Amino acid sequence: MNLIERFISYSELVGNVNTVIAASGIEQVLGAGGSQRRYVNAPRFGMEASTLDVDEKGIDEAIVQADYGIAETGTVVIDSTDEKLRLATCLAEKLIVLVEASRVKERLEDVVDFLEERSSGENAYVAFITGASRTADIERVLTIGVHGPKEMEVIIVEDR
Amino acid sequence: MKELKGRIEVKLSDRILYATLRNFAASYKVSRQNAFEGLDFDALRRDVNASKDFSREEVEDLFQQFKENVERYGSHVYRAKDGADANSYILKVCKTHGAKYLVKSKSMTSEEIKLNAALEAEGVKPVETDLGEYILQVSKDHPSHMVMPAIHQTRGQVCDIFTQHFGKDICPDIGDMVELVRHHLRGYYFKADVGVTGANLAVASTGTIGIVTNEGNARLCTTLPPVHIVLLGYEKLVRNFEDAMKVLRVLSKSATGQISSTYVTWIKGRNPSGKSEKGLKETHYVFLDNGRLDYFAHHTLKEALKCIRCGSCANICPAYEMIGGHVFGNIYIGAIGLIYTALFQSEEAAKDILQLCLSCKACSHNCPAGIDLQQLIAELKLLAGDRFGISPLKKTVYSGVMSNPGVFRALMGIGSVVQKPFLDKDANHLKLPFPQKHDFFVPPSVKRPTFTDLAEKRGATTKETETRAFFYPGCAVEYFYPNMGIALVDLLEKAGVRVDIPPISSCCGLPAAFGGDRPSAEKTIQTNLAFMGNPDDYDAYLVLCPSCGVAIIQQFESLLREDQSLRVKARKIASKTKSLSSFLEEKGIKFSGVANKTVTYHTPCHLGRGMKSTAEPYLSELLGKNFIPLTDTDVCCGFAGSYSVDFPGISSGILGKKMEHVRETGADIVVTDCPGCVMQIESGMVKRSLSAQVMHLSDYLASLETLGAMEPAP
Repeated sequence: MNLIERFISYSELVGNVNTVIAASGIEQVLGAGGSQRRYVNAPRFGMEASTLDVDEKGIDEAIVQADYGIAETGTVVIDSTDEKLRLATCLAEKLIVLVEASRVKERLEDVVDFLEERSSGENAYVAFITGASRTADIERVLTIGVHGPKEMEVIIVEDR
Repeated sequence: MKELKGRIEVKLSDRILYATLRNFAASYKVSRQNAFEGLDFDALRRDVNASKDFSREEVEDLFQQFKENVERYGSHVYRAKDGADANSYILKVCKTHGAKYLVKSKSMTSEEIKLNAALEAEGVKPVETDLGEYILQVSKDHPSHMVMPAIHQTRGQVCDIFTQHFGKDICPDIGDMVELVRHHLRGYYFKADVGVTGANLAVASTGTIGIVTNEGNARLCTTLPPVHIVLLGYEKLVRNFEDAMKVLRVLSKSATGQISSTYVTWIKGRNPSGKSEKGLKETHYVFLDNGRLDYFAHHTLKEALKCIRCGSCANICPAYEMIGGHVFGNIYIGAIGLIYTALFQSEEAAKDILQLCLSCKACSHNCPAGIDLQQLIAELKLLAGDRFGISPLKKTVYSGVMSNPGVFRALMGIGSVVQKPFLDKDANHLKLPFPQKHDFFVPPSVKRPTFTDLAEKRGATTKETETRAFFYPGCAVEYFYPNMGIALVDLLEKAGVRVDIPPISSCCGLPAAFGGDRPSAEKTIQTNLAFMGNPDDYDAYLVLCPSCGVAIIQQFESLLREDQSLRVKARKIASKTKSLSSFLEEKGIKFSGVANKTVTYHTPCHLGRGMKSTAEPYLSELLGKNFIPLTDTDVCCGFAGSYSVDFPGISSGILGKKMEHVRETGADIVVTDCPGCVMQIESGMVKRSLSAQVMHLSDYLASLETLGAMEPAP
């Protein structure tokens, strides 16, 4: 199993939808869905941060870029220092994460340098996200969407 | 103790709790195993253990690093000496901000210091945002598990709680109830003035904390309110992110069987916050001592501070599975809960619940931080015994009888006569008029002649062979099951092994050591060592009772505090102490003449986890298709020595599960490797009128034909 397949297998295990697209397919990502309240922040993919206010009612969708993917756990790593991005990824019904294939790494240790670097200044807020918000607190029955997203999709963009 | 026993009775009669915890234990084992698939668990936990091994000075250094890293940029760091100190600091911060509401993510440390009560008393309303904690807060209950706090509640009970709380009919559908809480709590995040979280990790090299959740509530607690207070113990400090990842890799897999929890949030210092006047959040770190710093200086108790709060020591504990975390623990739950109660509450609060440990070592074997939890509990029992004394009856038995082989033998001699009116038809068991709750147990009769009497009469072969073994019978073989010992001598001599035995048999001291009576244990060990020959003369020291094996391997040397030369002898003997099956495998001794009977095998706790040996592969190879594996073969049978007398309800409940699995195999013979397990499983058979024969491995093998030593398997 190669790195991307491994990433996808663990990401699927937590119920994520995973797609691998060519760089040219990015526009279709934005085109699809077209929900009313959508927050976008993925500058590496040509999507500048939107100015949408995120309030108590939450939003329909957040599309953000990940700094890394981690194959051993199916996790995406998102620098969330920006408060609006943080809130949008917390309160969106659906979270869509874009990441280049070259940024998918094998192990947790592979993002240690990134965490060190991000933590070297006055503040840092980095999120590891592996799936939609969930609980098993009542009778250990898996239930999705306690406080955060009810759905998650990872789009891996071919770049090599 | 009486109060504890009352609470145990209540839990044992709760059939819903029984079913819930039993299902949980079964499904947890499967998901945990899947999560660790392909990983070397022992290597991973060794790494975690080593990376969290700090002296008091080292942890102080890490703390100073952490502090400088965050204070430099305007965060506040407070060192709270105890719970009251921490609470008053947190309250002061709340008051400075005129806080009415405070949102909290799950924090066991806040349970330890009873933060919510302190806040409420001063008019600040804490709102728990973890679903399980929220249910408990609303119903004025408290956690019964560290990771799944409301595991003792059913959906119906939660529905009743919510119906009453929200004053409207709630549908008992889990999805609907989760949705209700989602909407209800959302508003509190927005109106809260302060967010309080714990931390799973505190990375000293950068001053970053890591918080692990599945719900995402900690993300909201740390994002919306303008003030963030982190409450954490010093034991959460790690050197750097490399070490943090080691913890992370095992945490969720051990906790819930997840490859990773949904959210791991790394936060440093003062992040952007629109609600803050200065645009940056106000951040406080409250480091709780409450004894921790002193424990870092203690050579063994510091191990307990390596706990990563996965809660798995409860998940695999047979006693927890019977009574749940409201009894098996205090604030912290499971094996670590018994320990933390002694460390962070009081020894007084811990002295009774420490006795709930079966000493089966399932927790030690399963701990992802590599903590020998059972050993720590045993040590704390000794400390509690030193301080509070042990029950007068046990004291008499441990000090007056068991540590004195002559008295022991004389008393057993009296017993063999007195028991006569109670002998069952087979003369091997007693029929005693036990009160009902003890009536699951059929004790074996005291045998006269004893093992050493029989062995003396039998005489040893004079043949000089190269292989010499010393057989240590211990009191169970000596007085209750002499035939097991004779069987061992027979089958080994046939295989060409010379077997020596001690001139007089004694107790190994484990009951006294695990019962908390240090002086008696020490005296017993000294007596034993005098009878155990010169270790240089023997290839192996063999036991048929793995508890004796554990005593010899783990306790003998450590309990001898003064005598250096005796310690050396104890260490040598420990290194040569083995189970029968390990010895047979090592020497390549084989058997034939297996009758067409099916056999299953129960792995005794002190054999599998204590001596790290099991006869399962040996029997499986010997018997082929006639060997039927036993589900949960390595789970305790519930005997655990005097435990079955102290806590008969728990003991018989655990035995009941074992019996179900034995019945499922349909085997003709149940083989096991410990006289105590034979005693317990035989009781289970008799009381259930099951027909399978229960045999010690030595008895079973002696019934076959010895083929003598073969070439050891390559």
